[in-house]
Amino acid sequence: MTVSKKIVLIGHFGVGKTSIIRRFVENTFSEDYKVTIGVHISKKTIDIADGKTSVSLIIWDLEGQDDVKKTRSSYLLGTHGFIYVFDLSRPATFENLESELKFLTENYPNIPIMVVGNKMDLVNKPYLTQNSSIFEPLVDFFVSAKTGSRVESLFSKLAKALI
Amino acid sequence: MLKAYKKRYYKNNLQYILVDDSGCVLETDTLVLPVEKHKQLQTVHPFFEILNNLLHIDNECFEFSCINLDLESQAIIVDVTIHSESKNKNLIIIEDLTTHYKNYQLTAQSRNESIINSQVLELKNKYLLEKEKFKNNFIANFSHQLRNPITASIIFSDLLIKENLSSEQKNYLDIVQSANKDLKNRIEDILDISKIESGKLTLDEKVFDLKALLNDITEGYKHLITKKNLEFHVVIDPKLPEFLHGDAYRLKQIIGNLLNNAIKFTPTGSIALKISLNYERANKANIQIVVSDTGIGIDAENHEQIFERFKTLSSQIKNKGGIGLGLSIVKHLVLKLNGNIAVESELNAGSKFTCNISFKLTRYNKSLKKELIDNLKKNHSSKYNILLVENAELIQLSILKLLAKEGNFYLNIISKGKDVIPNIIDQDVDLILLSNTIENFTAMNLATSVRNLSKEYKKTPIIVLSTEAFKDNIKRFKQAGANDVVTKPFDKNNLLEKIDTILKSV
Repeated sequence: MTVSKKIVLIGHFGVGKTSIIRRFVENTFSEDYKVTIGVHISKKTIDIADGKTSVSLIIWDLEGQDDVKKTRSSYLLGTHGFIYVFDLSRPATFENLESELKFLTENYPNIPIMVVGNKMDLVNKPYLTQNSSIFEPLVDFFVSAKTGSRVESLFSKLAKALI
Repeated sequence: MLKAYKKRYYKNNLQYILVDDSGCVLETDTLVLPVEKHKQLQTVHPFFEILNNLLHIDNECFEFSCINLDLESQAIIVDVTIHSESKNKNLIIIEDLTTHYKNYQLTAQSRNESIINSQVLELKNKYLLEKEKFKNNFIANFSHQLRNPITASIIFSDLLIKENLSSEQKNYLDIVQSANKDLKNRIEDILDISKIESGKLTLDEKVFDLKALLNDITEGYKHLITKKNLEFHVVIDPKLPEFLHGDAYRLKQIIGNLLNNAIKFTPTGSIALKISLNYERANKANIQIVVSDTGIGIDAENHEQIFERFKTLSSQIKNKGGIGLGLSIVKHLVLKLNGNIAVESELNAGSKFTCNISFKLTRYNKSLKKELIDNLKKNHSSKYNILLVENAELIQLSILKLLAKEGNFYLNIISKGKDVIPNIIDQDVDLILLSNTIENFTAMNLATSVRNLSKEYKKTPIIVLSTEAFKDNIKRFKQAGANDVVTKPFDKNNLLEKIDTILKSV
């Protein structure tokens, strides 16, 4: 059985949303930053461990915004799951993390949200410890689109949460 | 007419598609997307999977702008309007706005890149500042720890030299004194470079006696240079003004560092110091300082490098001592004084450093000079009660011996902060020497407590003996009520001059 689920990646610009998707869908990565305007939509089907269910993920890669409230509401229609991405190396992209997530949970209740710190390859353990008061209670995954670290696990976990 | 224009400028960028509630195409044109009748629109692009959720809602209009449709044949950017109507018929209008959005993309790209770059720069700057702060704290703490033992060593050596020593003992003590001086200078150098790099170096500008200062320098260095069997030639321009307004300490440091450098790198021959007046203009005197030597010299290609910190040319450093800060400090100080410095040198042919610096002229004259000198002369008619608040035993002992030698002070020593106020009230204290290393009390708190006493005691002069030498620290001590600050390591003359000046002013 295949089920189709719409997931939306949101977060500040330049945090690597497109790179995470490209790593997941095409297994490629580019260092060049190309701004996303509007939305790009891609699709990938993954099998869930039970062997009976496949999830067709319709992945909406939204234009980055420094405030989630500025996101066009039409883009979020019919969303089954969110991936909120921030850049671990740029504090400006996670300093309002709590209020950003609050907005999503209040306006889109009961929709799973995965909170993801990208560019794990650019930071070290002491840095994560230093910012643990922000990261520990809120973040689900530390990933690197560049190395591919934990990208697959991120989408698998969300897909499981959606069925 | 209008019809003709409309026809000419009509854009074929709109596609109308009629679909049923499942997304199956009922009618369409192909002006934007290659859509075929009777096919599911969802198969054209995953964006249209949204129809599964929307087409079952009747009589609604959904607008989606800036949708990137990456098709096999082309990549376009469109706005999509979905009119979900009843009776299993829904209208989808697709407007191709690729050119418009691509222009917007260029703007967004440069805006985002500029914001990201500025955030990254801000972050780098923050890390650099943190690193700088760590370094400065390290240097401050490091020098703080060394100041008490060096002070004690300097003062006891000064006291010991006046004892009845054998000639061999005097020689040994000479070496100890020279090592003390060297150590003190190096700590001051490290602190100076740290102040310069953190932008905290400020000038202490006041009227000074130029000729007396030059005399001090030449007398001091004559001994050092002749001890090394070098000749010392001094030429001082008689046209130089007697008094100038500026930072005398830094001028002395510039000349001293240049002479130290010459001594270090001149094994035989001579060293010359020439100070002359370039010109007097607009109430300023521009003076030239030239230090030349017959030493080992510097290759032309290394002339710039010698002013870099911790830079001592490897072949030169061997057994010469020094940590490569002297010339770097000179260059920074000369620039801080709005002057310039140049070097002329050749390998094995000596070096010549030339600095030009302007100082303000002043109205001081010889009669005022006499008054100044008279004021500085010691003339204690009675004995003074000094309260020393210090927990470092070596410093207690040093100051006790030092003041005892002078013979006109009674010294009361306490090491606990809580005893300060009772002592001031019980004793007749003329001056307090207050260390900044008293346990559980800061010198600021103690100075403030004294200033909060009743009228009878609150004006007791306070000199802080500080292991912290930054301008900010000194300012804080003074704001808390200290009359003056002596930074450790200090020598006998430093301390006695400050005590003398303050006792005379009250």
